[in-house]
Amino acid sequence: MSDKLEVAIKLMASAVIAYMFISILYLYVAVGEKWNLVLNALFDNRVHGAIVISVSSAFFVGFLAVVAAIPVAYILTYSNIRGKHILEMFLIDLPQTFPPVTEGLVYLLLFGRFGLAYTYVAVIIAKFYVSAPFTISFAARRFYEIKESGVDVIARSLGAKTSHILSRILLPMTFRDLIAGFSLTWARAMGELAATLIFAGAIPWVTETLPALIYLASRESPEVAIAASIITESLSIAALLSFRFIARKGE
Amino acid sequence: MRSLSVQGVSKYFGNVKALDGVDLFVKPGELMVIMGPSGCGKTTLLLVILGALKPDKGSILLGDEDITNLPIEERNISYVPQDFGLFPHLNVYENIAFGLKVKGYPRSEIDKIVRSLLEIVGLEGLEKRKPRELSGGQKQRVALARALAIKPSLLLLDEPLSNIDEMTKSEVISNLKDLQRKIGVTTLCVMHNPEDAFKFGDRIAIMYSGKIMQCGEPEEILREPKNDIVKRLIAPMYILWNWNKS
Repeated sequence: MSDKLEVAIKLMASAVIAYMFISILYLYVAVGEKWNLVLNALFDNRVHGAIVISVSSAFFVGFLAVVAAIPVAYILTYSNIRGKHILEMFLIDLPQTFPPVTEGLVYLLLFGRFGLAYTYVAVIIAKFYVSAPFTISFAARRFYEIKESGVDVIARSLGAKTSHILSRILLPMTFRDLIAGFSLTWARAMGELAATLIFAGAIPWVTETLPALIYLASRESPEVAIAASIITESLSIAALLSFRFIARKGE
Repeated sequence: MRSLSVQGVSKYFGNVKALDGVDLFVKPGELMVIMGPSGCGKTTLLLVILGALKPDKGSILLGDEDITNLPIEERNISYVPQDFGLFPHLNVYENIAFGLKVKGYPRSEIDKIVRSLLEIVGLEGLEKRKPRELSGGQKQRVALARALAIKPSLLLLDEPLSNIDEMTKSEVISNLKDLQRKIGVTTLCVMHNPEDAFKFGDRIAIMYSGKIMQCGEPEEILREPKNDIVKRLIAPMYILWNWNKS
């Protein structure tokens, strides 16, 4: 690699890294001298409600994603069904690229008639679709790697049945990937807005999440919106770091 | 001890015929080596016998029992692949105990069997080590101990010398042979190197293009290679044998 090219690569990488960091950290700078207003907003009952709804629903979605990822990854890895790649696209790629606002509308039409709209369950349903694919994708990739390594066949030759393969081979060997998937799912669920807003609305202490609060408060009381944004960012960074630590510990 | 009988087994991958009507008989307690060049179907044959691949034609008998359609976990056949296939998240002890645990052996019996196997393969004191902390030779011994722990009816070895350096090869061959005789398990082993194969096997099956070309004791093959393909495949051994004879 020529020196000039290496310098150019480093400059480009630095620009991208700076862009990413500024996008996250500028909020703390922007608060400026209005820290008092933001601190007051932290004691706002509505903000507390949004924290509880956001964090709890993101955890539920994370756990559900792990529970869902195991059978889906198993089927994607071991079944001989035709069109597995298409199925993979529908389960992993599409939910991450599908406009959440459309998905919210679909759920409103589909589940609204059963009285699920504007409930806490609606928050979970809306977040699950866009967030779960992270965990499914991590688990499926790892299951496939394990299958390619052939250790599952060796385990079977030693007498292991499917239950043993799952409990003693696939799950322990996928632990780190499931934690990584859980953490990304959790973070994505924390940030989900459009689908949740359309299907679940924004009822304080019932369905109002931090992103919904940020969106609604940004016009009326910006200090509340900024406080909610700082909380969302801080929680996400702290959670992602903790999940990484847990995954490393479990290695 | 049980015999292995492979009868007219064929296996296709799309239009490619990986196994072409393979017939093979391994006597109880015998150490048979399948020797052939890369891509001749040796590993495919092992995987079909193991049950990881389904044959398109033919049948496989273990003793008198037809195991062609039996699931892998019910065949009681142990397999040691080229890379040893140790479970990376389990330590040496847990790797060896794996088969016994899933078969529901009591803990005290598992401990007795694992300890005795650790002694046989010379790995006492390494029970707590993870596979990544072992050398190639140690990994192989763990894989063998794990395979033997379940008292298999048949042991399948895929290129057991491929990860062993030239310096220790002879020692490993002699240790493996001793171990196989001591345990008395019927063994089918795949090798591509004629020299290793002729040193290792009680009998050799020469495989080429999905077919068994010739099967017999090493000296018998060297004395009377069935055709030019066999002669070519065992060339170094054949030349050396004829040279020594003359």
